[in-house]
Amino acid sequence: MARYGMVIDLNICIGCNACTMACKAEHATPPGVFYSKVLEKEVGKYPAARRVFLPVLCNHCKNPACEEVCPTGATQKRDDGIVTIDHELCIGCRSCMEACPYGARTFHKDEATYYVNEKTPFEEMKQNFANGIVMKCNFCADRVDQGLEPACVQTCPTECRIFGDLDDPKTKVSRIIAEKKARPLLAEKGLEPSVFYVGS
Amino acid sequence: MSAQLDEFLIDVKPQKEWGWLVITYLFLGGAGAGLFMVSLYMAHPWAEAFGLLILILGTLFLMLDLGRPERFWRAFFRARSSWISRGCYFIAALVLLGGLNVLIDFTVSDWGILTTILRVGAVAAAVAVMIYTGFVLSPSAAIPFWNSTFFPIIFFAYSLLAGIDFLILASPILPPPAIEVAQLEKIQFGLVLLCLLLVMSHLSVMSGSAVAARKSIQLLTRGKWAVLFIGGVIGIGLVVPLLLAGPVLWQASFQTVFAVTAVLALLRLFGDYLFRFLVIRAGLYDPLL
Repeated sequence: MARYGMVIDLNICIGCNACTMACKAEHATPPGVFYSKVLEKEVGKYPAARRVFLPVLCNHCKNPACEEVCPTGATQKRDDGIVTIDHELCIGCRSCMEACPYGARTFHKDEATYYVNEKTPFEEMKQNFANGIVMKCNFCADRVDQGLEPACVQTCPTECRIFGDLDDPKTKVSRIIAEKKARPLLAEKGLEPSVFYVGS
Repeated sequence: MSAQLDEFLIDVKPQKEWGWLVITYLFLGGAGAGLFMVSLYMAHPWAEAFGLLILILGTLFLMLDLGRPERFWRAFFRARSSWISRGCYFIAALVLLGGLNVLIDFTVSDWGILTTILRVGAVAAAVAVMIYTGFVLSPSAAIPFWNSTFFPIIFFAYSLLAGIDFLILASPILPPPAIEVAQLEKIQFGLVLLCLLLVMSHLSVMSGSAVAARKSIQLLTRGKWAVLFIGGVIGIGLVVPLLLAGPVLWQASFQTVFAVTAVLALLRLFGDYLFRFLVIRAGLYDPLL
């Protein structure tokens, strides 16, 4: 069984947020809920000031702290390593949000739409979840099950995101992690994240 | 120009998900279990029932905090790994076994060995309710200030302290048997000293911990929560009651005056609530890198 993961090359990310938008379109997440987003920061001083970008999403940890603390079993880890939330089982206790060091989860508190008091037909069709639950990236599990890549990976215009099987050393994702010495965020927490970053 | 991974030392971030509803549960849940345990020892069925009522009230606050309160029963399904799930069993066990104990004490009946089993079970459940919330916080990989083995012990001590304070406050209106408030005040003196020692030890250990834990301590001792922590938790909640009660407690002529003991109890309860408030609000996530 594969163990899915991702590597993101920060050297070629241009901070366009195409991943953010592709994710929103794929999952029809409500306002304020982002499965994937791009953090940005200004570094250096004039005339050498520049902006740097850090795309973040759920790290689909091998030892997910969120799954351990979830009191209902709503958070589950699939055999292929993808960590998902069953929205029907979530009671909205937010213990998973307290346990996740990456801030990858969002509490969908109130019913909210992008248009005033009205869901678009697209939202009506895609939003099959109630409010009062916690939401997060699921590596586009439905797409992955169909042999497709996650929407953010497919959309990225610079191909800075590579998705694949971490357990197979021949896959592109494994080779890039090995060759470019990619590393995960907060490795010291011991959660063994499946999202790696390349930064020079 | 290439991006440097280490440039993303994005600052620590406060946790904002758990607020006053959870804090109020931590306070009332612990106090209710503490009050029940002490009352059981004193075989005072009215006080036992009062303790269970406080616990149930606290649990209602916890349920109100849920995003989907009508699904609360699902929280019983993951006791193998989740302390919140285990807590649900502890609360249910305490309400059930505690309720049966209240019945036994009210009816002055003896169910033989079953009485002993129920009493031991109820005490175990009460202790579990008092400490499990510490275990909810202490394994946290995300919030280093909570990642401390002190929390279960601190919450136990504070819960017992608050439980006895509720008993002292209720003592004039509770039916017989009479409550020995003077004895309780002596116990409180010891518990306050214990709480002070545990809180200081926790701060001391955390001051050498991860960056977010050190920032939490800064918030509590020099930052935006310093007045509430030093003035409220340490000063009003612990030191002032020690100074007021200490000099007279062990005098041979010591007698309690309700107005005075009530003030002491209220000061300690204020400090207890504030402590739980600040523990939750001072929780900070480590920077991403």
